[in-house]
Amino acid sequence: MFASSRIFAVCAGALLAFSCGTQKETPKVVETVVRPVGTPVEIGTPLGLPPVPIPENNKPTAETIALGKKLYYDTLLSADGTVSCASCHSPEHGFTDGMATSVGFAGQHGKRSAPTVLNAAYNPVQFWDGRAATLEDQAAGPIANPVEMNLSHSACVDKLSGNADYRKLFDAAFGPGPVTIQKVQMAIASFERTVISGNSPFDRYQYGGDRKAMSAAAIRGLALFKDTGKGNCVKCHTIDEKYALFTDGKFHNLGVGVNSEGELTDLGRYDVTHAEADKGAFRTPTLRNIALTAPYMHDGSAKTLRRVVDFYVGGGSSNPQLDKEIKELHLSGPEREDLVAFLEALTGEMPANAGPGK
Amino acid sequence: MRKLPIWIAAALLAGCSSAPKPEAPKADARPAAPVYFKVDSATAGTVTGKISFTGRKPAKKKIDVSEDPQCAKMHAGGLYDEAVVVNPNGTLSNVFVYIKQGLEGKTFEPPTEPVTIDQSGCWFRPRVIGIQTGQPLNVTNSDPVTHNIHPLAEINRAWNQSQEPGSEPLKRRFKEREVMIRVKCNIHSWMRAWIGAVEHPYFAVTGADGTFELKNVPPGDYMIEVWHEQYGKQEQKVTVKPSGREELAFTFKGE
Ligand code: HEC
Ligand code: HEC
Repeated sequence: MFASSRIFAVCAGALLAFSCGTQKETPKVVETVVRPVGTPVEIGTPLGLPPVPIPENNKPTAETIALGKKLYYDTLLSADGTVSCASCHSPEHGFTDGMATSVGFAGQHGKRSAPTVLNAAYNPVQFWDGRAATLEDQAAGPIANPVEMNLSHSACVDKLSGNADYRKLFDAAFGPGPVTIQKVQMAIASFERTVISGNSPFDRYQYGGDRKAMSAAAIRGLALFKDTGKGNCVKCHTIDEKYALFTDGKFHNLGVGVNSEGELTDLGRYDVTHAEADKGAFRTPTLRNIALTAPYMHDGSAKTLRRVVDFYVGGGSSNPQLDKEIKELHLSGPEREDLVAFLEALTGEMPANAGPGK
Repeated sequence: MRKLPIWIAAALLAGCSSAPKPEAPKADARPAAPVYFKVDSATAGTVTGKISFTGRKPAKKKIDVSEDPQCAKMHAGGLYDEAVVVNPNGTLSNVFVYIKQGLEGKTFEPPTEPVTIDQSGCWFRPRVIGIQTGQPLNVTNSDPVTHNIHPLAEINRAWNQSQEPGSEPLKRRFKEREVMIRVKCNIHSWMRAWIGAVEHPYFAVTGADGTFELKNVPPGDYMIEVWHEQYGKQEQKVTVKPSGREELAFTFKGE
């Protein structure tokens, strides 16, 4: 259930995770149950993807989606009016930022690479370490994060309430009432649920029956990707019978981010669970549109797809928590190129109306 | 009884540490610093020698570098196996020489100066290195491709690490004597290196003239071992007299 008290608990959690107590906000208890109003929207599913999971309490409407989109592209949501969600998740870079680690408020760098928002709606949990349960929970984080948008939630709500356009849009999306951070989160999440991309050459080949949709190299690459004795990639980047998300939604340690002395620099999932086995483990990312979202890995350490493939051929970097599925691969030069060709065939159609503007 | 949650225990411990301690001074609590052996340079001697090669040189063997077109590009004329390098003067390069026995009971301070192994031209440079246990090993990548160095240590801990172009040097150490550690690159199957790790500074690797020199050796009786990746190991006894200069000759035979 999307009980309002839970929202706030999670929000506060997200705030803490981000700001480590630098935020001076006292969360107010939201009493009213917020529900979207307006024209219900059925989010279509492109070839190769399952239906978009929709929470019971935040069924998308034309109004919430439009509001979410405006918020997503609006720099008003940052303390100095320079950063929007799109600064780090831009349609020009496959809804990422093209950087190893993101630059946010006042040019500060975070420690992780911005994942794509494309198809994030399918993630069972959000963030590399899975610390947010839903897109709604996630959206609260970056606004208040001092190195991202650095705008406290109360300041964010004040700014939006002071804007007549926004007041109208909020009323249209949630019915008359005050602007709340919960509504901001719900609207952005609904917009993100429309940022879906499928129907790639791979989808047309695999699910559309078009044998010519992929190049011969990509077809060989797909076979290597699935072959447990060769690439073994499907173990984590899953392909199902009717659709492919290219992620098992689980956390694995590949040794990315092992420093020059052999130690893990970012403990990843461990920071959330404090389970020893989760040290250095990160959520398997989707590989859809991967050719658009370089550089790669949670720290942006791999610049090209060839280097990612080489990373796997090398068996990652050793450390005590290395996933048992990560080991040296025996792939010839042409086989390595075929894998890259396959990854390049995962670029899908961009969602209509997901870009800035009307 | 329930166990104390760790954080409470930690808080308690932290609290305790601020209380005055009536015990002995802190230094005693740490493990005793090792007492390093000081060589008396007035009496130290030198062991020199030469590694000759007789018999048939192995034929030049071309390496298949098709795993990585970028590596191939760096070697337009082809890449040839360097397992056996016979010098023009009939000696062997890349022979690791060290004192195998005779230094028991002496502990030598590890140098802070690192030994560097570079991944360059999709090749390890140098191919054979010696290092003292505890001395830093610097691994650099000068190539435009990712490498994954993998010392297949059996006595020391084995490890492997992916290294993107332009990333900072890896800094590792070996704890125990191990002669030799085979090193490979997990991404480029032809890349080979060998590391000899010993707990003292008396080691050398022969170069283009096939000679070696172990300096500042305390007088005494020693066993010297020499190792070559293709032709194996040999050993000889030597007695270093005070300020003496002892000369050894080894010969490896080709097949
Ligand atoms: C300064 C750059 C920056 C800004 C601004 C930013 N993000 Fe992010 N975003 C990131 C980074 C970096 C991560 C990954 C952080 C992590 O996993 O620890 C991330 C993660 C996410 C995720 C999770 C995706 C996944 O696969 O787990 C979503 C969704 C997301 N951001 C949406 C948004 C929205 C919506 C906004 C605006 C409210 C926003 N971001 C603003 C950098 C940014
Ligand atoms: C054990 C599970 C596992 C296997 C097997 C696996 N991956 Fe991954 N993959 C992951 C995880 C986890 C990450 C993120 C790691 C990180 O950043 O620390 C990742 C990251 C990637 C990325 C970068 C994605 C991005 O957005 O930055 C690519 C590309 C990729 N994998 C391709 C492959 C290919 C190709 C194979 C097969 C050769 C493969 N993976 C096998 C789990 C796996």
